[in-house]
Amino acid sequence: MSLLTVENLTKKYGAKTVVDHISFEFGHNKCIALIGPNGAGKTTTLRTLAGLLKPTEGAIQFESMKANQDLRGMIGYLPQYPAFHSWMTGREFLIYSGKLAKLSKEVAAKRADELLHEVGISKEARDERISRYSGGMKQRLGIAQAIIHQPKLLILDEPVASLDPLGRRDVLVLMEKLKQDMTILFSTHILNDAEEVSDELILLNQGHIIESGSLSELRKKYQTTVFELQVEDDINSYQDKIDALQSISSTKIERNMMFITVSDINHAREEILAVATEENWPITTFSINQASLEDMFMRVVKS
Amino acid sequence: MQWMTLFQKELLENWRNKKWIWVPLVIILLSIMDPITTYYLPQIIDSVGGMEGAVFELPEYAPADVMMMSLAQLSMLGVLVIVLISMGTIAGERKSGISELVLVKPVSYLNYITAKWVAYLVLVWVSLFLGLLVSWYYINLLFGNLSFGDLMITVLFYGIWLTLVVSLSIFYNTLVKSAGLVVFFTILTIMVMSITTNIFNHVLDWSPNNLSGYIIEAIKVGEVSNDLMITGVVTIGISILLVLLSGQIFKHKEMA
Repeated sequence: MSLLTVENLTKKYGAKTVVDHISFEFGHNKCIALIGPNGAGKTTTLRTLAGLLKPTEGAIQFESMKANQDLRGMIGYLPQYPAFHSWMTGREFLIYSGKLAKLSKEVAAKRADELLHEVGISKEARDERISRYSGGMKQRLGIAQAIIHQPKLLILDEPVASLDPLGRRDVLVLMEKLKQDMTILFSTHILNDAEEVSDELILLNQGHIIESGSLSELRKKYQTTVFELQVEDDINSYQDKIDALQSISSTKIERNMMFITVSDINHAREEILAVATEENWPITTFSINQASLEDMFMRVVKS
Repeated sequence: MQWMTLFQKELLENWRNKKWIWVPLVIILLSIMDPITTYYLPQIIDSVGGMEGAVFELPEYAPADVMMMSLAQLSMLGVLVIVLISMGTIAGERKSGISELVLVKPVSYLNYITAKWVAYLVLVWVSLFLGLLVSWYYINLLFGNLSFGDLMITVLFYGIWLTLVVSLSIFYNTLVKSAGLVVFFTILTIMVMSITTNIFNHVLDWSPNNLSGYIIEAIKVGEVSNDLMITGVVTIGISILLVLLSGQIFKHKEMA
């Protein structure tokens, strides 16, 4: 059975449709990445699911509950820019969050201590005011408050966007760990992160879902092979010759490197190497790359 | 209980940001300013050189009149202080995004609002009691006898008026996101109410704005009139209505 089923979810602000009839569902203990460029409607979708916005149209159903019920007890949510009561200490804030989620005082305190340890907020920092926390510590505290009541679904809006590489790594490792106990739905525009932790992807652009599925499915579907070619002299003078080859679908040049998209790897390799040997091209780099998620994303979004 | 959690948080917040210290102090200052300056006015005039030849006939004030001076100060600056301390309680939290983290938990909207309402009422009532208590002490010392019962009547009914002020502020807090606008609308509403009460004096016997007038009457006569009682009840009614309405508005409004 699905954990969450979303049907024809639509959100309009006046005449502007930010999310346009999107439908998707996912099961338990998955990690789903919502990806898309800025302004695609990711945050609006997540906030609607978290119950902060009311859908203009459509149904959100959680397990076997009735559609569009108050789901806040089952969901943990971390906004993109979480704001805290900065006059509280980290520990106080977690206990406060836990009690709001209807945990008893004792349970909330116990969970708070566990989580502070789990997300890696040091013993000294626990009893410091949040106003003194760094960005990374706030983000980790944000995740801790979102899971204090052990929700079935954790919604994270751009959880790593504002972090330095070290902080990013910490949060990704934490997500990897959390996904054993709950379903995580998170948005990002950093595709590497999505690739790293998610099982499924939903690609959103201009309020529409343009593609969704598991990572391997999408890979297969959009798989292309790209050769990278660099030469000692001006690469532009070689473009026409490559384009003329039969097995080449397209070429583009960026920073003195030619990217050659091909349909048939073996055939293309033979052809390119043949012409290169014949004309004695001063090649410095010639390599084969599988298309990354990023290329796929660019193609899907542009088409 | 969730409500207690929210309420305790408000009390703690107002303690940590020192509202529990400065608000009572300001209200005490406002309450005793006029009684004391009025009493010492002759000496003050003398000490700044006096006015040669001019003879001042300073009226003799009855204790009730002096209490009215205290209330007059509170009605101007006191109300302003109350609106200023409560202006951002919801609007500010929504603007900064803190309310997102709170309201994404299974928090009842009415609990969220009433916890804040009660927390500010406790602060305002305690401050008012302390302010008028000190004022009462000086009035007894400098102007003559005013019974403790009279003080309690004043605190009780004037507190009801300030309850309405807090309720108005909370109400506008749920309507608009900007703390500045909350102040503007609250003060505007109080002014419009005051003008309307003055113009339609003959029909609006129970307008909340009449409370101070009835209070002074009551402590002069030494008896709580029906008008005062009914006006008090009407004012409480309007306050509760405003808070319930705020809850409804908040429920149907998006937190974004």
